[in-house]
Amino acid sequence: MSKPMKLLCWILLFCTGFFVITFTVYFFNLDMKLTAMIEPFLLKHYDRIERDRHL
Amino acid sequence: MAKEVGKDRLGDLYIDGGKVRRRREWRGVADTLYDYSRWLKIMMTLGKFVMKPRNVKAMFRYRWMANYLAVPMMVDRHTQGLRGEYLRICHEEQDLIIDDVAQLLENLFRGDRRIGNDTEFSKRVVLVDENEMTAVMMGFPNLKVLSRETPSTYVSVLLNQHAAEHYIDVAQEFGLASDVCPMPEAEAGVSIDDDAPVLGACAIQCNTTCDGSLLGNGVISRRLEKEDGIPVFQLAAPLRHREDDVQDYAAQEIKNAIAFVEKHTGHAWDWDAYFECAKRVNYATKCRQEWLEMNRTEYPQVFGSNLALYTETNYMAICGRIPAFEKADRRITELARQAYAKKKMAVKEYRHRAIIWGVQSHYYMDFLVWLLNCWGIVPLTDMLSMVSTRELKETDTPENRETAYYDMAWLTENMIMRNRTHGGYQVLLDELWEYVDMFNADMVILWEHMSCKALDGMHGLFEERARERGIPLVWVTHDLFDPRIVSRQGVRDQINSFMRTVFREEPLDPSLEVLKDEESW
Amino acid sequence: MKDLKHLQYFEDLLQEANNDLIRRAQEEGRICAAYTCENTPEPLLNLPGVFSTRLRAPRTGSLDISTYYLTSFLCEYSRALLERAVEGGYNFADCIITPDGCSMMNRCVENMELLKTMGAGKENFFYSYMEIPMKADDNGLNLYVVQCRNHILKPLQEHYGIDISDAAIRQAVREHNRICELIRAIGDFRKGEKPRITGYEYHVITMATYAAPKYLIVDKLEETLEELKTREPDPVFPYGARVVVVGSEMDDIDIIKLIEDSGAYVCADRFCYGSLPGRNVIELNDEEDALTQVCRQYMYRGQCPRYMDSSKMDARRDYVYKLAKEYNADGVIYEQMKFCDPWAYEKMLGAHILREEFGYPVLAVDRPYAIGSSGQMRTRVQAFVESIGIKKLKKEDHNG
Repeated sequence: MSKPMKLLCWILLFCTGFFVITFTVYFFNLDMKLTAMIEPFLLKHYDRIERDRHL
Repeated sequence: MAKEVGKDRLGDLYIDGGKVRRRREWRGVADTLYDYSRWLKIMMTLGKFVMKPRNVKAMFRYRWMANYLAVPMMVDRHTQGLRGEYLRICHEEQDLIIDDVAQLLENLFRGDRRIGNDTEFSKRVVLVDENEMTAVMMGFPNLKVLSRETPSTYVSVLLNQHAAEHYIDVAQEFGLASDVCPMPEAEAGVSIDDDAPVLGACAIQCNTTCDGSLLGNGVISRRLEKEDGIPVFQLAAPLRHREDDVQDYAAQEIKNAIAFVEKHTGHAWDWDAYFECAKRVNYATKCRQEWLEMNRTEYPQVFGSNLALYTETNYMAICGRIPAFEKADRRITELARQAYAKKKMAVKEYRHRAIIWGVQSHYYMDFLVWLLNCWGIVPLTDMLSMVSTRELKETDTPENRETAYYDMAWLTENMIMRNRTHGGYQVLLDELWEYVDMFNADMVILWEHMSCKALDGMHGLFEERARERGIPLVWVTHDLFDPRIVSRQGVRDQINSFMRTVFREEPLDPSLEVLKDEESW
Repeated sequence: MKDLKHLQYFEDLLQEANNDLIRRAQEEGRICAAYTCENTPEPLLNLPGVFSTRLRAPRTGSLDISTYYLTSFLCEYSRALLERAVEGGYNFADCIITPDGCSMMNRCVENMELLKTMGAGKENFFYSYMEIPMKADDNGLNLYVVQCRNHILKPLQEHYGIDISDAAIRQAVREHNRICELIRAIGDFRKGEKPRITGYEYHVITMATYAAPKYLIVDKLEETLEELKTREPDPVFPYGARVVVVGSEMDDIDIIKLIEDSGAYVCADRFCYGSLPGRNVIELNDEEDALTQVCRQYMYRGQCPRYMDSSKMDARRDYVYKLAKEYNADGVIYEQMKFCDPWAYEKMLGAHILREEFGYPVLAVDRPYAIGSSGQMRTRVQAFVESIGIKKLKKEDHNG
């Protein structure tokens, strides 16, 4: 296989892989499912921050 | 999973008691791929945002930043069930708003004394209220007009229905009565909780929508002025804005506000920039009027939250200052014309044509999409979208410069919601029925934002007028920023029971009638 | 203390919105101008041939009808007024003039108009709404003057032929000032260690000056002032503390009584329908027109929380502090009528600032329009008085 063809194959393979992975994340809402898991830790962190709370 | 509109049971996408949905919607190949591509774009915007260390630092400093984890879901909620042009219109708007908010956040954190602390940049920042018309900044192209309340409360509640609860509780802990509007209450709570970025050469506050908003500003300005050393100008727009004898006062307030900004920033007012913005405002008005004209026909195209959310942003926060919104106006109009020519419908059946009046529940902004998908009710227009259509002067002449102050004053007086909650019963009560006739509506859905005194004060008369005209009127009670008072299902139940008992109808999509989304973002 | 000779007379005037003196003044051919907000310059409603009455709803009972029209989320003052209007209780008035002081009051009067509750049989009756400034500055003053001219003076002239000349305004101010001087002089008796007048008595007398035609009560006020000069105070001060009461609209005579019965002497009244600053004398010079001068003094002295500029906001809390000092108060009670947005915020900030920055004990309460004999309020005031007493004792102990 010539070099350009090889490169093209790699690009195609990368694009297909990228599409399959990202589309799976998109369709099954995995991005939101992940961030939903992160949120409680963030909220705990905010509760621990010292604040100059006053009027 | 179906390509056709209305074939899917959209309620099946919800997870009982879950924060997020089971999966995204299948809309047919073309529309799904389109939606996917826009999702990728949003992910890139978010990716670019978190690449900057100061933004990450801010993420760990400000509680409200956690809500931005839910950005893609906000778009999903608003695009639910949409196909073709409707989907594209929604993305056109939502994606632009996301870009704009990302830019706003970046600027806030760049100047924020706690985060980026770019003092030179901060000197070019003028802070404004969340609910404030930014007309007075149209002639300052080199200044950054930033609202701290927009990302901390307004957008946050759009993203996460529970976003304001913490700040509401903080304000009440400090003795604020619990019966005030939760929006300024939450904004005051952010200030009390020391959770607002600190930056800016000066700030302009305005008596925006209500007494609560006006007084809430007092809490914020106290900290700004006395602690942060940021001078504040309180712009008092007249309440009886339809009266001729208040306009001189209003114009003078604008002149005073401009002089204040010039004094504290060292930047001079630029008439060329102003008239450029005025042209864009006029163009936005022209587009909005065209959309509303279409909505008067059997084939409405830009309606529901597509109309409401975009108008709120474009009319008030942008006010001609950002050219990208002009492009979006053009694109949306093209899409709407295209769909109108094909006599397209957003759902398989339009059963009712409704005017939505009052102040919508902010924690359930996608309720208008739900109305359409669940019951086939077309929200033709809403109170917050029925704003000024006055044409601003566009050419730079000595006379037009003087008129421009009156134009800016007029826009400021006629901020969204304020143009209805102030100005006498004519603008709130009488004009509703004019729109019912104009749009050939067969029902009115009246939001009863329970702590909005200006609206509550017309409750009985709204009912009497509806009875006199034989127009079915549904009350939908909510507490704007606080779903603990009336939940999203509580909001839906009010429509469900009305539709079943008064109209004796069955839903278009029964899976949407009851949703366990109390815990959802 | 011995009862004041005219106290019963003043109390009787407050039993009905349409009291005996209003009827008498109307029989004499005067026009009755009703109003609802302290930001309406009173002398302009008391030009020759007119007298003002600030609307109240004494002995309020059920609010069913007004709650239907306004919902239960509006303050009870606005609901009580609408209820009384629907019952026909304000049909005596010849006009009503109302600024957009707050959304609730605005809606209340609009409902009165749309439900045609007033003006039956009065062909010249009118409703007039007006804009009032939210900032005290030159621009605000221009607005105030224009609005008073267009929405008070012109309608009075057009509908009833009232003389609205500068001379007429000056005469009205002179008469207004006479009342203010008397009320202020009577109020000064609250400053002493052994006051010669109770807060309740003073509240009743002050309110009568808002609710009845002023020219018909001048003689009674003069007699009361004379009587106070020789009135013997109680040998022992019968209260646990002296307090300034600050807050929203308060025309219910029972509330001050309740506070005093709970052990707190009300030495200063900084609320709507109070005398501070509502009964400040209006000083006029001959160089400037009277209307502008009246508006300027109303605007700069106004303590309404709807004034939104920083200088006014700071001045509101300073004013309370100065009153507390002047009237030798031990503490401050911030009160807010339930559902009142402006005072909800002002109560929070004012209470905090008076406590933290000025060092005064503060009680912050919300309340209904007509308080009756609320056990809850009584308990809170009693606890407040007790806490002030404990602080005083500690201070004395500390000072040795």
